[in-house]
Amino acid sequence: MHFVRLAGLGCVALGALALGLFVGGSAIAPGDVTWALLHPHGGGDVVTIVWALRLPRVAIAGIVGAALATAGFLLQGMLRNPLVDPFLTGVSAGAAAAISVAIALGVASAFVPALGFLAGLGTALLVAGLARRGSGIDVERLILAGVSLSALFSSFVALALTRLSQGGAEEILAWLAGSLAGRGWNEVAWTSPYLVAGFACALLAVPSLNVLRLGPNVARTVGVDLARAQWVLLVAATLLTAAAVSLSGIVGFVGLIVPHLARRLFGTDARWALPASALLGIALLAIADALSRTLFAPQEIPLGVLLAFIGVPSFLYLYLRPRGTSRLWGT
Amino acid sequence: MGHLTLRGVRIAVAGRALLEEFSLDILPGEFVAVVGPNGIGKTTLLRAVAGFEQPAAGVVALDGIELGKLTPHRRAQLVAALGADAEAPNGMTVREVALSGRFAQRAWWDWTRGDDDVQAADAALARVDLGDKADRAFDTLSSGERQRAWIALALAQGARALLLDEPTSHLDAHYALDVLTLLRGIAREGTTVVAVLHDLNEAAAFADRIALLGDGRLLLYDAPDAALDPDVLRRAYGVEFARVLVDGEPRVFARSTSGRPFGTAARNAS
Repeated sequence: MHFVRLAGLGCVALGALALGLFVGGSAIAPGDVTWALLHPHGGGDVVTIVWALRLPRVAIAGIVGAALATAGFLLQGMLRNPLVDPFLTGVSAGAAAAISVAIALGVASAFVPALGFLAGLGTALLVAGLARRGSGIDVERLILAGVSLSALFSSFVALALTRLSQGGAEEILAWLAGSLAGRGWNEVAWTSPYLVAGFACALLAVPSLNVLRLGPNVARTVGVDLARAQWVLLVAATLLTAAAVSLSGIVGFVGLIVPHLARRLFGTDARWALPASALLGIALLAIADALSRTLFAPQEIPLGVLLAFIGVPSFLYLYLRPRGTSRLWGT
Repeated sequence: MGHLTLRGVRIAVAGRALLEEFSLDILPGEFVAVVGPNGIGKTTLLRAVAGFEQPAAGVVALDGIELGKLTPHRRAQLVAALGADAEAPNGMTVREVALSGRFAQRAWWDWTRGDDDVQAADAALARVDLGDKADRAFDTLSSGERQRAWIALALAQGARALLLDEPTSHLDAHYALDVLTLLRGIAREGTTVVAVLHDLNEAAAFADRIALLGDGRLLLYDAPDAALDPDVLRRAYGVEFARVLVDGEPRVFARSTSGRPFGTAARNAS
């Protein structure tokens, strides 16, 4: 039953990615897109648009969706808190601060994503260091350190914005609102080792994550090495989030909401809910990106803004409607 | 299998020693109740026996294997320990809770569940009389059923010794008897059972031996008949005890003493 549902979800994700290939700012007939896909060296504008613009963009949408949804699922499970999102560890705030300051100082824009990645990782490392207790991580300290450092780094962004010329401020704002415009295979290539490592750690942590549903005490009873499990989970979530942020800027909401949808559909067993989160993340971001390109074409709506517009009302409806369940955790 | 030995164990909390030079031998298949006043170090002792923390000094071993030196995973194959504060998980069935015990028997990164895992979990649930409720949501169980489900998790783990911290503290008389009978049965089947209990009479009625802690040491470690000694109990708890026989078995009752604050006089006297 779960297997059939997961396969169905996979088809939805594939369909959403395909949709992203066939729609866009410039209207191209579906037949021409198909022809271009089958003839990568066929030449012409359509081939260029499909292979150099749409395909990498759709791929990045899928990657960012899967990475953020997975990271959110891992952190919510590790901290046993349904309100946690992947940016809790300070990754996004650190990246945003570094990028804002870099743009303000006029650093070449080619270096910006890598800088965001490193700053995100560095901030998460700092947060984890502050949250350390013994060999493991204290959940409350992690949340406190993450929230405090995020607030600190956000003020750097504000400072950079007030000091900047119009053009630079726009560049920062575009980045803060989340966007896939202008990203290509280059960014995919250099983030892929970190993404692979992040997803691998996520898969390793699944059995521990499942036992952690019973709380840290019972988990330890049945043999979970709590410190190891926490570090594996944190490394996975941080790598995935930092890679996603450097690819797309700050795309909020996916990492918070998608894990809830996955648990609603598949229950809390991470063996099902984790792959479901990833697939739902792919589908959601691919559809949102397609909409952001087409709704007001040729103008693009920032991805983060669009996701909030669609996602928040549907999330509120799901949990706060009069007859709905207000239980965030569980099924 | 399941011979627990403690040799010269020192139990300290925040640098202050609660128990010193503590030694105890628990035989395979024995049901031992650990009793004593609040704050004496029963729970900390249990955690040290479970291998959750190294004792400040001394050795805790199961069948000659020193528990404090094992990885958490290897330790879980030998000793199962249920704390007093297990939370009810959301969105898990009773069977899933029991299956969680099988984590101890698989590599920590291994996703798969074998038939042996499901069989072990179902056998454990049948053993605690929850076989017909395996597919129920855990949070629909009553307190007594939950306690039995936790015991099923510990049984599914396949450990040689089962440690429990106040397994009857939230239960009414019916469920408390139920759980204690179950624990005695588990001990009879060969798993060593050590339980911290508050009720001396529960300990006397079900345990093979009672370990009474007081004054920072083991005051007494004996069969219930000898352990329920009003003089020794007064030294441990600082209140008077009356001993009576119920159906030929000893039971004790605490009595307040002449308006003195409990504990102060007797504990300082010794």
